[in-house]
Amino acid sequence: MMTLLKYEIYRRWRWLVLRYAALIIIGAILLNRVSSPAYQYEFIGESIGKFALTSLVIFVIIIIEGINMLKEDLFEECGYLTFTIPNKGRTILASKLVLLFFQLSFWTIISIGFGSILFSKLPYREMVQIKTQINFYFYPTLLFILTAFFNFVLMIHFSLTLTRTLLVNKRYSSLLSTGIFFFLVYFIEKVYYGPFLNQIQYISIEIGSRANTTLLSGGYTAVFLNIILTAIFFTATSYLLENKINI
Amino acid sequence: MEQILKATQLSKYFYQKKALDKVDLSIEKGKIYGILGPNGGGKSTFLKIAAGLLKPSQGEITIDNEKPGTYTKSIVSYLPEINYLYKWMKIKDAVNFFKDLYADFNAEKARESLKFMELEEEEKVTTLSKGMMGRLKLTLALSRKSKVYLLDEPLNGIDPISREKIITSILDSYSEEASILISSHLIYYIEKLLDYVFFLSEGRIILSGDAEELRNKRGMSIDKLFQEVF
Repeated sequence: MMTLLKYEIYRRWRWLVLRYAALIIIGAILLNRVSSPAYQYEFIGESIGKFALTSLVIFVIIIIEGINMLKEDLFEECGYLTFTIPNKGRTILASKLVLLFFQLSFWTIISIGFGSILFSKLPYREMVQIKTQINFYFYPTLLFILTAFFNFVLMIHFSLTLTRTLLVNKRYSSLLSTGIFFFLVYFIEKVYYGPFLNQIQYISIEIGSRANTTLLSGGYTAVFLNIILTAIFFTATSYLLENKINI
Repeated sequence: MEQILKATQLSKYFYQKKALDKVDLSIEKGKIYGILGPNGGGKSTFLKIAAGLLKPSQGEITIDNEKPGTYTKSIVSYLPEINYLYKWMKIKDAVNFFKDLYADFNAEKARESLKFMELEEEEKVTTLSKGMMGRLKLTLALSRKSKVYLLDEPLNGIDPISREKIITSILDSYSEEASILISSHLIYYIEKLLDYVFFLSEGRIILSGDAEELRNKRGMSIDKLFQEVF
């Protein structure tokens, strides 16, 4: 898997460098600006907002690339190379997901790093006020976001792979993939999460809030369900890649 | 002779269209086979199934007694008609990629072959002409020490000088331990390579036999026979 991972990085290293360099440079410029003695406190919030927006754009790019990593191999000519190498479907898929995990980790480190420094420039009183409002348990929140992220990406990977199993013609593949994806979203919400919905329905924003232990327990339930779902989609996609796709 | 590839009643449908229709075919070790036929006859579909890129609709294919999968991909060297190399690659990257991912790839042989084919390792694959790309793909495919070589239209769109180099390379790669299956509709150029031929039309084998026997029996070259049949 490490060899495949190495080539996944080779394949995209310019874009990887570019996007993190952009995030770091923008963060550094904003930081330099708020560190100036002439800078007024009122504009620190604006700088935090600008950095958050940049960070969000990079996050969306990471998701799109995470999807395209498999989509390119499934729908473009390079798939002839990827799927004739003697590797298991799970190895091919795992190499892409590991790169995605690394990307997400870098993004998190840079975003939290700059975000924290920018945040520390706020007046002490405001900092305390905001900290009181955002009072998360760190690990359940992190685990929930991480598992939900990989669930989302793997659901799209599965939809694309199933499309390549059912259709050889590329013309209607986007339509079919989208249809499968939305069906899965509906099915999972109604059938899979259904029995637990009362427990986990508020988790999206308030997961892990120290003020509410019920929500915390709901958060762990969601994390557990997400992990199972991630394992199911990973196994199913790997199986299809190895045994069923038509390139 | 030991059979290395065997297809039994192999069919592939694309919706209503039959790309392959109950094909029975087997190939033995140490021979060069030609799958000959017009465009759309099912040649590429057959090779793609053998390479593990397409799944049969019906019937079965085995290579070294295994269905196409991870094992067969390790013993089958496939050269597709299209430009399948990643666009970011230079020629040297493609050689390194094959060296890293195929245990049977001989990088030294590949570098010698690149010299023979007059290809520079620093060139990007996106800048290569069709002839150069054909020579590169063949270099990569034949630098593996595989049991089966599947060459899909290796001469298609290739200039006469490159054709000669490609044919020489295929002949140089011949070994008694390996089988080569070449699909083509340019029979004139590959006829001298072939031990055995299958004529494929509309997904069916309409004629097959030992190349020499067919020439003697019909009193004409395989190329002429091809023109007569199609």
